[in-house]
Amino acid sequence: MNLYHNKLAQWAAYGVFFAIIAAVPLFVSDSFLLNQLGTYGVYGLLALSISLCWGFGGILNLGQGIAFGLAAYGMAMTMQMQTQDPESNPIPPFMLNNSLEQLPALWEPFWSTGLGITLALVVPTLFYVIFGNLMFRARVSGPFFAIMSLAMLSALFTIILDMQPYTNGANGITPPQPLTILGTPLDPYGPATYWLVCGLLIALTVGAKLLTQSKFGLLVQAVRGDAERVRFLGYNVAAYETAIYALSGFIAAVAGCCWVILVQYVSPAQLDVSFSVTMVIWAGIGGRLSLLGSMLGAFIIQGGQSYLGDALLSTWLLGLGAFFIIVVRFLPKGLAGLLEMGLGALSSGRRPKQLEPADRANAMAGE
Amino acid sequence: MAGLLEIKDLHKSFDGTPVINGFSLEVTEMTVCCVVGPNGAGKTTTMDLITGRQKPTSGTIHFAEEDITGLGEHEIARRGIGRKFQVPAVFRELSVRQNLEVAYSKQTNALKNMFVFGDAAMKRKLDEIAALANLTERLEVEAGTLSHGETQWLEISMVLMQNPRVLLLDEPVAGLTEGEIMKTARLIKQLKETNTLIVVEHDMGFVREIADVVTVMHMGTLLAQGTIGEIEANDRVREVYLGSEEH
Ligand SMILES: Nc1ncnc2c1ncn2[C@@H]1O[C@H](COP(=O)(O)OP(=O)(O)OP(=O)(O)O)[C@@H](O)[C@H]1O
Ligand SMILES: [Mg+2]
Repeated sequence: MNLYHNKLAQWAAYGVFFAIIAAVPLFVSDSFLLNQLGTYGVYGLLALSISLCWGFGGILNLGQGIAFGLAAYGMAMTMQMQTQDPESNPIPPFMLNNSLEQLPALWEPFWSTGLGITLALVVPTLFYVIFGNLMFRARVSGPFFAIMSLAMLSALFTIILDMQPYTNGANGITPPQPLTILGTPLDPYGPATYWLVCGLLIALTVGAKLLTQSKFGLLVQAVRGDAERVRFLGYNVAAYETAIYALSGFIAAVAGCCWVILVQYVSPAQLDVSFSVTMVIWAGIGGRLSLLGSMLGAFIIQGGQSYLGDALLSTWLLGLGAFFIIVVRFLPKGLAGLLEMGLGALSSGRRPKQLEPADRANAMAGE
Repeated sequence: MAGLLEIKDLHKSFDGTPVINGFSLEVTEMTVCCVVGPNGAGKTTTMDLITGRQKPTSGTIHFAEEDITGLGEHEIARRGIGRKFQVPAVFRELSVRQNLEVAYSKQTNALKNMFVFGDAAMKRKLDEIAALANLTERLEVEAGTLSHGETQWLEISMVLMQNPRVLLLDEPVAGLTEGEIMKTARLIKQLKETNTLIVVEHDMGFVREIADVVTVMHMGTLLAQGTIGEIEANDRVREVYLGSEEH
């Protein structure tokens, strides 16, 4: 049997991956580099979320920036309010510049760090539940859903940009201090923050992997193949689609929170269409049917962008586009699919005799 | 005794073109009802209407004395109506085993299924049905690689995994070899002990083998109904349908 499909081998590969990313701070002393590697954890989370939704659920989502961006704003608002004082200095400076005299009601809950972070995670997830339910119950799927998600993202982008007094528009929000949890500031450049992001990535990856192995995971794959057929087996397809879409949104929301903890900054750029499309490219190249493949795709492409992108400038984008087309055309399962084929060739080359009993049974079944 | 499935005065038109014109049918529990008729008579459309894939323009469908007209596909399936499609519809990217697992729909709740990792009752049933359908050796292969006959049997097996009270089989032996057809007939007679079956089929030899009642559809209406002997002796049926068959 192909080693690629062996569950134990898969978990072993994930284990090695987890060990490597967790060990990074032991070898990286440059805190600036460590912070940058932390943001790769955020890209990993986003790739994971796309792989679940698009790879397993077959729902092409070009608007993952919705959850990522909403959560990032929620986290930035929480961190901003940590630096304000209810008595002496209740209003963030940018609001004063926009001549607001009172803290908007929208911002009030963010005085509380616990409530703020909860909202940063719950609001996007709930948004996905409602939007997804609306779409999937109306049986919007495939490219139509992709376009709807894209339209929704653009709408949200514009709203945030336009609500200058509440969001600081294009300038975004720059909380002056790192997130403080239970009295301890989380230094974005320290190993603790890296491990926080890394731990969330590991926990959510394990959860997602288990999910794909559950009956639910099997069903979303069946829905991907033929949603119509699944209905006649007694399953409410819209519920499955909404659930996988909302779970993927939750993971993207976690990514959004981590992002702001690491970079202490959010702007409408996080809701830019091109960023959401990039997430899909990561998964497409790495292999959307593999959670790990999608994450590695994100690392490879973002790594390439930061080290080659500067040198090659616009050629980089052109090269990336060409690479994407080649992969989609010749390797629909991405680079992970290449590994699958390689291991498949290896196992069938090594044990050709194994095929015989099945073939004989086959011939018999056709009598 | 009232029928398990009762169709009354069903009408369906597509864009104003009537396809089903006042079709009525009553199916008794634990019998095999065969539906025959020329191409385009509306047999598949009737199945679509029973299973909720299409909504009737008018008329009612009752199942186990409850009105199921206009319910969603999954709600009708949950009440115990399983269906095999005319064009075999299996999940081609999934393995044969996974196809059967998906079809086992005792638990349909999405959230609860997140915590289901194979259950013993399901595995027992899966092995049993796979053996019955001669698919035991093929459980791990991708369903898309099966032969036509195996695909037909896989889909019938999926309906069995679903464990419905009524099985709707749309042309279950189309494209099967003589041996496979005889095996299917044996399976259907066995299923009749516990289930009710509605079988759409063109193969009159097969129909003769399995049918308790034969219903002839023509242009969306019931042309005749009776035992196979009565049907084959019916002049109208010979004229519009059997006359055109090769036997
Ligand atoms: N969704 C649809 N839209 C428009 N017309 C349809 C639709 N479905 C079926 N029809 C038409 O309804 C008529 C009956 O089709 P149906 O598939 O029910 O026939 P059938 O009795 O199953 O025939 P066959 O023996 O060839 O399978 C045909 O003329 C078909 O073109
Ligand atoms: Mg038909």
